[in-house]
Amino acid sequence: MNAPRPESAPPAPAGSFLRRIAWHWRHDEKCELWIGWWTLVVFYNLYGLLFFVITRTQPPPEPSLDPMEVVQWFGDRRHGLLYGYALVFIVGGATAIMNATLAYSIRRMSVSRAFAYSYLVIYALATLPGMLLMGVACTVGAMRPDRDPAVMSWLYDLAFLSFEGTMGVFLIGSLIWMAAVLLDENGVFPKWFGYLNLCNALTEVVVAPAWIFQSGAFAWDGSIAWWINMGVFVIYTTAFLTLLRRMILREDFGTGPLPELATDPAAGSAP
Amino acid sequence: MNSGFEKRPIVIWLALSAITILQLGIGSIDARAALAGKAAIAASVIGIALIKVRIIIREFMEVRHAPVLLGRLTDLWVVLTGAILLGGYLAGTAFPKG
Amino acid sequence: MTSIASTRSRAHGSPETERFVPGQPDMWAFVLFEAFVFTAYFTVYVFSRARTPDVFRQSQMHLDLRVGVVNTLLLLTSSLFVARCVQAAREGSYRAATTNAFLTMLFGSVFLVSKVREWAMEIGQGFTFTTDEFFSFYYFLTAIHFIHLLIGFVALAVAVRQLTSPARRSQVIVETCATYWHTIDFLWVLIFALLYVMR
Repeated sequence: MNAPRPESAPPAPAGSFLRRIAWHWRHDEKCELWIGWWTLVVFYNLYGLLFFVITRTQPPPEPSLDPMEVVQWFGDRRHGLLYGYALVFIVGGATAIMNATLAYSIRRMSVSRAFAYSYLVIYALATLPGMLLMGVACTVGAMRPDRDPAVMSWLYDLAFLSFEGTMGVFLIGSLIWMAAVLLDENGVFPKWFGYLNLCNALTEVVVAPAWIFQSGAFAWDGSIAWWINMGVFVIYTTAFLTLLRRMILREDFGTGPLPELATDPAAGSAP
Repeated sequence: MNSGFEKRPIVIWLALSAITILQLGIGSIDARAALAGKAAIAASVIGIALIKVRIIIREFMEVRHAPVLLGRLTDLWVVLTGAILLGGYLAGTAFPKG
Repeated sequence: MTSIASTRSRAHGSPETERFVPGQPDMWAFVLFEAFVFTAYFTVYVFSRARTPDVFRQSQMHLDLRVGVVNTLLLLTSSLFVARCVQAAREGSYRAATTNAFLTMLFGSVFLVSKVREWAMEIGQGFTFTTDEFFSFYYFLTAIHFIHLLIGFVALAVAVRQLTSPARRSQVIVETCATYWHTIDFLWVLIFALLYVMR
């Protein structure tokens, strides 16, 4: 820890946006952590924009579309799919920074480092079925609109089943984080977040029937398998983004209990 | 040892068990009644279940002795659940399928 | 408010008049959250049922209401024992508390066995997850509840671990585990009413 302590650095200026950023870049020992956190925030927002607005692949369409309807679906979204997923592929590497930030929080806990490492491995692998495979399938489908409808239908199923249905990785990942939070004696996260991880893990189980049903509440677009699930996921994501921010503010780079946030506003500053 | 307090969970358990056994009777009622009858039966089934649930929450889970806020939050859930379930039922009857 | 608290202290003969949150408030946050998630699931079920009541009612007839009643009684009894476990631990009777915790597990286990047997019977009769809408909801709700129940055993194991060692015996943790167990119980009460009773 050779970075200058905040006390010896000039106080954070209350100036323009750029001036504050420059100060953090030069003097904030938590700079990397904040870069990690902001990457998470920007990425999730971008993710929402790309999947819901540009590619319009979420909320997902019905599994029960026949091949001609599938061709129509790809045709309606051709440019959105191509440009949207091109962007996803470019920024997809940011997930490395995101997962590292999350794993950092687990490292800061009093539990074995094995928790952080296994979490990192699982979520690194999770990007493939959780995002990239769907991107590939959709762009392949959108690239040549005159493809055989049966092939388009195949790509359609691959895209959505891989995206919605491969929840096992996230299930185990959530359980690892849950166990780490509940066993942690450093108080990095409140216990309710450990329990919320359990909720998230269980909702992954709820998605599993999507492999079986082509319509109804349990299909990949169903009220239970998608809508309620997504509701829980949004709450979960908001919770951990907020808690990570608090963690970074509280971080003292020690190995013992994480100090609570000082009520004195001058004690720490966040970009 | 205060026997008055120790008996309470058993009394609660007896009450809940009795209601459960009574539900045997309700479940067997022929529901081929008029629409209003069906809605009334649905409402009473939901209502009785939520009464049992509230008893479990206030007695077994000791919310009776908890800060008032927790009691209000749990009651809020009970009331909302009842309303949403009944609403879902009525909405479903308003939009029948096939 | 004060009258309730003082009644309790009179009943206890103890000086305690404070209101307390049973177990960790964090667990209560989880309980309320899960309760709302289940409300959402139940609403989807009730809405679907009301749209095609005849299909649902016909399929429901294949469920044995008596088995449902027995299962409900099993879980209610298990809740009684975990409540007594908390009481005993509070009074310092840790042997009694541990016994009650094991009794909770016993009744919970009988429920598990009963549920699996019920599923086996229904599958044997040809009613599977994909048979019709009712059965997909039936298996979904009972299975997700079953998983919660399995987690409940983990919670009870944590409670027993606390109770059996003088070095631990955290009342808060025991109460937290009990709170979770009661939640599984009251969720089943609702599942029972919606799947078995409402016909």
